[in-house]
Amino acid sequence: MNKELEHSFVEQLQKHQNIVHKVCRLYTNNADAHNDLFQEITIQLWRAYPKFRGDSKFSTWMYRVGLNTAITLYRKSKRRINTQEFDAVEFKIKAEEYDDTEEQQLKLLYRAVHQLNDIEKALVFLYLEDKDYREISATLGITEVNARVKMNRVKKKLKTILNP
Amino acid sequence: MDELEILKKDWDKDRANFKSFSGEEIYPMLQRKSSSIVKTLFYISLGELVFWLLASILPYFLSSTIREKLEVSYENPWFIAVNIFSYAVILTFIYLLFKSYKTISITDNAKRLMEGILKTRKVIKYYVIFNLTMIFLSVPVSFYMEYQDNPDFHQMISEASTAQMFMVYAVMVVVAAIFLLIVWLFYRLIYGILLKRLNKNYDELKKLEV
Repeated sequence: MNKELEHSFVEQLQKHQNIVHKVCRLYTNNADAHNDLFQEITIQLWRAYPKFRGDSKFSTWMYRVGLNTAITLYRKSKRRINTQEFDAVEFKIKAEEYDDTEEQQLKLLYRAVHQLNDIEKALVFLYLEDKDYREISATLGITEVNARVKMNRVKKKLKTILNP
Repeated sequence: MDELEILKKDWDKDRANFKSFSGEEIYPMLQRKSSSIVKTLFYISLGELVFWLLASILPYFLSSTIREKLEVSYENPWFIAVNIFSYAVILTFIYLLFKSYKTISITDNAKRLMEGILKTRKVIKYYVIFNLTMIFLSVPVSFYMEYQDNPDFHQMISEASTAQMFMVYAVMVVVAAIFLLIVWLFYRLIYGILLKRLNKNYDELKKLEV
């Protein structure tokens, strides 16, 4: 039974692992930290998996566990070695439609997002993942009105960071 | 165009070269140890329980003088009552700790998860305050008991001048205060480091509600 559970979990995680990678991308800024957070989120997902009832989508459930791990539970582990930080965009330069200005703009944008605090990043993440305010508020435990207000503030903050 | 909209376009493209983990790579991850703060908090609370239990039990086994004194003290019903009381408190704390750990759920919303962790930390804090208070109270009580039961000590105190007595009290208060301060700072440091990020994020969420 346990093997079966493990198997179905790994299969699901493998399929949806991009969600975890995206959380890691916002909350870390080097490859080692990225992998370390990925590892921790995987452990937390696996622990919570037996209680996952399937009444919500696996991916939705992953958003919550992933963000909660990044915002609340995660502690930088000792096994992490500090390597040179990279810009989130720098390692994907080999994209086919390489456009210098667009690439440059994205680089600045990702850099600006990295300057936001943990909660602001969570809002940005859920927004980028196309979640509505109802889901954003339910994930963070704030009211829908406050989620909207905060989102507007985050947008303003990003503008200020980009155009000081 | 809105900055986030530009980002969103790129985000949806999924172009980033994340290292996609294979099933074979994910399986061993499930066996690794978590480094979450809840786990650390759990070990700290376990350590506290063991430490304070040992601190109250070990002297009995390690020193024959203390054992003799304690055996005499056990004839005093008050002493037995205090002991029963402190064990009851320890059991209550174990129960409360267990209960609050059970309420911590990663699938709760972020705010409730943080509150669960902070509540657990509070239980541990109260346990520490309880122990420190007991230690603080035990100083004058044992002083009084020694005065009652030990004739040499009784005589020494009776013969002491007011200035000498004042000195004894002053030293007692200062030593106790320094001890408490060190323990308190130690806890502030441990929890300060451990929960710094959580506190910051919790404050940020709370701020939204004002």
